[in-house]
Amino acid sequence: MFRLYTRLISIRIRSQMQYPLSFLFDTLGSGFGTLSEFIALWAVFTRFGTVGGWTMPEVALLYGLAETSFATMDMVFSGYDPTFFSTQIQRGMFDQMLLRPLSLPVQIFGSEFIVRRLGRIGQGLAVLLLSFFLNPIQWTLVKIILVPIVIVSTIAFFGGLFIVGATICFWTVESLEAINIFTYGGTTMISYPMHIYGDWVRRFFTFVVPAALLTYYPALYFLGKPDPFGMPPVMPFLAPVAGFAVLATAFAFWQVGVRHYQSTGS
Amino acid sequence: MESIISVADLRKEFKVFRHHRGVSGAIRNLFTHEHRLVKAVDGVTFAIEPGELIGYLGPNGAGKSTTLKILTGILVPSSGEVRVSGRVPWRERRAHVARIGAVFGQRNTLWWDLPVIESLDLLKHIYRVPADRYQQNLNTFRDLLGLDEFLQTPVRSLSLGQLMRANLAAALLHDPDILFLDEPTIGLDVVAKERIRQFIQQINRQRATTVILTTHDLSEVEKLCERVMIIDHGRLLFDGQLEELRQRFGGERELVVDFAEVYEEVSVEGAEVATREGQRVTYRFSRGAVTASTLIGRLSAKYRILDLSVREPEIEATVRRIYEERLLDK
Repeated sequence: MFRLYTRLISIRIRSQMQYPLSFLFDTLGSGFGTLSEFIALWAVFTRFGTVGGWTMPEVALLYGLAETSFATMDMVFSGYDPTFFSTQIQRGMFDQMLLRPLSLPVQIFGSEFIVRRLGRIGQGLAVLLLSFFLNPIQWTLVKIILVPIVIVSTIAFFGGLFIVGATICFWTVESLEAINIFTYGGTTMISYPMHIYGDWVRRFFTFVVPAALLTYYPALYFLGKPDPFGMPPVMPFLAPVAGFAVLATAFAFWQVGVRHYQSTGS
Repeated sequence: MESIISVADLRKEFKVFRHHRGVSGAIRNLFTHEHRLVKAVDGVTFAIEPGELIGYLGPNGAGKSTTLKILTGILVPSSGEVRVSGRVPWRERRAHVARIGAVFGQRNTLWWDLPVIESLDLLKHIYRVPADRYQQNLNTFRDLLGLDEFLQTPVRSLSLGQLMRANLAAALLHDPDILFLDEPTIGLDVVAKERIRQFIQQINRQRATTVILTTHDLSEVEKLCERVMIIDHGRLLFDGQLEELRQRFGGERELVVDFAEVYEEVSVEGAEVATREGQRVTYRFSRGAVTASTLIGRLSAKYRILDLSVREPEIEATVRRIYEERLLDK
């Protein structure tokens, strides 16, 4: 199973590497594209000093976690990217997948793997490492272990959003833009400290779509900041629960979508 | 013999939503779900025995592809029973598709960026085909389909005919029991069509693979199939031997005669004059009423004839008659 998956993505990777120079520029371009976003963020800080009481390096920690995770997800879950998956359905590729004696996730994960996302991943990692350097973080073993856990959990969270988006394509492709607001907008949102948002927004993204658990609470913990909402001290460690709950829910929804597709064939 | 495919009272309805145009229409679309039901397959029953080669005929939108999608497990029917090799296709998708091969029209199943041979090699792994069996099949198909000329070519650079040949090979590498073909020769030139037809026939005869092919090209069915099923508006209009179809509905034959001179009066008992062009006269007569030789005898007794030929009715015209006159409606 895993060998077939690696075989499938190696096809996608090879075809993207066919023109090495243009691949290189694409990768660098996608990295610099988001870097300019970060520079804009920086400009806001030089003008206002802090955002919600957080300094630039502190927000950079949030931003670095969100960017690294989202970009990695965007590469690994390329096959579930709603924009891509909707064209796959329209081109009849999903029918072809149903005709293969191979599990659907293996086929969909294997159907695309956009390597140039490495540019954005690299940019996110650079900001993250910079923030580690600029913030006076008291590193402990728990904190060191928590960093990769937070990243993997956030990947799972955004992967879940992609899968939900892809599943919606079984019903309609008209709402594609709305789906993209959730995924792309989601990263921007969790790049800022939660407490700058209104109360209901924060509650929604803590208890319903648990985005705040992924980066905000761990960031508070890394930076040694008190929780302004007085939540239980376990909050910084709930990232994996939140991330994988969203991913599991998304897969359950996906099953419903596949059944709907098979009964409508739209 | 146990039927390899059995279908009982199969029905498939689709909801077709009414879409309103414009901005106000888009808003209405969000809140209203006006739709009508389209019965794509409307109570179809048939059984297919192992080794049959069946032509599934019908005009566009008749329900051919929907039936095929249900039999291959892509779609779940609204009601009815389907068994393919003892399995319900959509319930045991992976076990089912491992034992069938399918080529849907011009839909390509191979990897666009890979050379054909690498695509086939990947399928070997996906279907877990034993290495020696794979090699054997590959050699056979290289031979029968002339794969060698494009085996190293990336799939995206293949011509339409080559693409179909490659896809046929891909659909058969794992020795499927049943081969489903949806319009396998659509868009191909005459030579390519012929090659693919011969291949389908060989596979059916040599490997006893059951083949179901949909088409709206009737000459294809005439050349390949003994048994024909005709579907229209989701209902089976005919299910039987091609010969029977011809006899029941293809009654009208034509006799084309070139006379030695232009005659005033060319009528003959048992046939009517269909067209007349100088010395050439075309008669139409009914298969049941008179034989061709009787007719020729009567004509040659009265006139001097240079040349003549008997034309069998094209099945195309036959099927058109079935559609138009609703000959099979109950």
